[in-house]
Amino acid sequence: MDKKLEPICISKGWIDLFSFLDDSISDRRKLEYFKSKNEWLDLLLKCISEGKELGYRSKIGSTEVEKYIEWGFKPFYEEKDKINGAIITAQAICKSVENEIQIEKLNTLLETKSEISKVGTWEYDLEQNILSWSKMTKKIHEVSEEYNPEVETAIEFYKQGHSQNRISMLVHRAITDGMSFQERLQIITAKGNERWILSSGKPFFKDGKITKLLGTFQDIDEQVKTELKVTESEQLLHTLVDNLPLNVFIKDENSRKILVNRAECEYLGVSNPKELIGKSDFDLYEKDVAQISREEDLQILKTLQPILGKETISTRKDGRKTTFLTSKIPLLDMYGKAYALIGISIDISNLKQKEGELRRLIDVTSVQNKKLVNFAHIVSHNLRSHTSNFSMLLEFLTKEHEEEEKNRIIAMLSKASDNLLSTLDNLNEVVKINTNTSVTREAINLKKSFESVHENLIALFKKNQVEFKNQIPADLNVHGIPAYIDSIVLNLLTNAVKYKHPNRTPMITVTAQREAGKVVFSIEDNGIGIDLNKNGDKLFGMYKTFHDNEDARGIGLYITKNQIEAMGGNIIACSEVDFGTTFKVYFDEGY
Amino acid sequence: MKDIKNIFVVDDDSIMLFGMRKMLSKITEKSTVLEFKNGQTALNEISDRIKNGNVLPEVIFLDINMPILDGWGFLEEFTQLDIKERILINIITSSIDPNDREKWLSFRKKTHHYIDFVNKPIYKIELKDLHKMDMAS
Repeated sequence: MDKKLEPICISKGWIDLFSFLDDSISDRRKLEYFKSKNEWLDLLLKCISEGKELGYRSKIGSTEVEKYIEWGFKPFYEEKDKINGAIITAQAICKSVENEIQIEKLNTLLETKSEISKVGTWEYDLEQNILSWSKMTKKIHEVSEEYNPEVETAIEFYKQGHSQNRISMLVHRAITDGMSFQERLQIITAKGNERWILSSGKPFFKDGKITKLLGTFQDIDEQVKTELKVTESEQLLHTLVDNLPLNVFIKDENSRKILVNRAECEYLGVSNPKELIGKSDFDLYEKDVAQISREEDLQILKTLQPILGKETISTRKDGRKTTFLTSKIPLLDMYGKAYALIGISIDISNLKQKEGELRRLIDVTSVQNKKLVNFAHIVSHNLRSHTSNFSMLLEFLTKEHEEEEKNRIIAMLSKASDNLLSTLDNLNEVVKINTNTSVTREAINLKKSFESVHENLIALFKKNQVEFKNQIPADLNVHGIPAYIDSIVLNLLTNAVKYKHPNRTPMITVTAQREAGKVVFSIEDNGIGIDLNKNGDKLFGMYKTFHDNEDARGIGLYITKNQIEAMGGNIIACSEVDFGTTFKVYFDEGY
Repeated sequence: MKDIKNIFVVDDDSIMLFGMRKMLSKITEKSTVLEFKNGQTALNEISDRIKNGNVLPEVIFLDINMPILDGWGFLEEFTQLDIKERILINIITSSIDPNDREKWLSFRKKTHHYIDFVNKPIYKIELKDLHKMDMAS
């Protein structure tokens, strides 16, 4: 084009290039069209006025057909320094531009990816023996961007020993045998930091020959260290959980075991935890126990409230019962919802058993203690009544002057002394019964006992015309001390005669049978009876008498009761005034 | 002080009865002292006297541990009787059981009679002991 922007010459190539634009428009008009574009015109004018070679790219055409054109503006001279016009070149660059853009995009993407994932790349050109690292690879090695690696130095970055040996071998094998590799190894960076990396490599073939190795290089230090830490923590937790002297388990939402420790395995009698995983309480325990446990689990999963230190009794399928102190704690997920629960139980069966034994011991002791206090009162009361009599009589004696009265007082003193002696004898008897509980007990045949006591009482029975009926079965034995049984039977039979009804022939009937695991014998009379509403609580008391009977000492039934209780037995009385009395005595059966 | 005309002694211990008789004889020449071996016979006598309109004892000496009807049983029934007079009842016992003291106090609160509680031994009964009630009221 000349300085006036008029075309001087248009090449054939130009015409062909722009033929995709409307054919009806003349080539000159097409130039006018270009001139209407500001940038195009500016560059052309600048080229002509300033004599500069310029170029630019632009898109030409409609959206259906468009082309990238590389424009060139070159001044041409008439003579030196005098510009006469410009030579304008146009070149279609459609494909290469597109590709370039695509590559640029990919590069950006790759770089971003590499930045985020800390994955670098490397490339080793075997033919030229050139190793190149990507930006990220350099960053991982902590070297500057200008750093140029070589194969030998690159391998030296790897930690001496396993890592260095391994990478040397892998690279060698990739080159010689074409084997790809991917391996976790350790490097020491340029700054001396130890770091876990994932190195991978792949051979690149050209004409069936390995010409290059391509690979990635990833910083996995945090990941590996976290993994190591997790493994360590897991190991610690497992060791701890397994060796705790507690049963530990974790159950899922369906109460199925997902973790059990050694103690739990031992308790449930399996050697491998796998035998318990996936099993529920219904598989392992009695139905009732399992049901209670399941309801507890549901409650915890629902309310997120743990159960702490609850005493539970578990019955295994084999029927063995164990008392546990159990805690169940919900395990929450990230959203605060319970997905499982952890259970911790401690076997307190031994403790419970000891507690039971202690309680029984306390019961026995407190009964003994009550008896002792009662006895102490009896002793104190009886001794006091005698001593106060002595004291009173002695006081009288010292003040008395009349000889006759003195003699009377002395007679009283001697009576008081006799009374005291007899009281002491009685008390001694009671003490003996209660201290002789260790005397060997044996099986005693009841029928024979009654028969032998009856023989001793024949004279008494005859004198009182007693009708005696012994209806005790021959096969009944009680577990007791023979002397006591004789004494008890003798005392009860004698009482039955002693308190006979004045207007009736005394009738005494003795029977016996088994009753609720015990042997019970009854002695029934038709005597005067006793008002139990009034005297029931005193009937077996010491020195309690209820009838105006000269023989009554108030000691017989007290001793009888003591003897029975010393053998672990029990006595009760039923009576109706004017009709008679029945004593029932309970003992353990003797074998 | 009014003269005491009737005294009941209720005790099953013959030695104690002997002692009571002896001690009372020193202070009451004009009184009649009646002895009872248990609570029931004493109660029967009192009931008879009420029925027949006879004079009741002003003072009763009462033992606790007795056959048939003991001291407490006696008091239980005696305090139910329709008696206008205020009678002095001296419980004389060798018991130092705190339960017995409590029983005494509860009877004391329940009745208009004057009930006293004395621990054995006793060596002497004075005239003023028979009039405790007069002094208390």
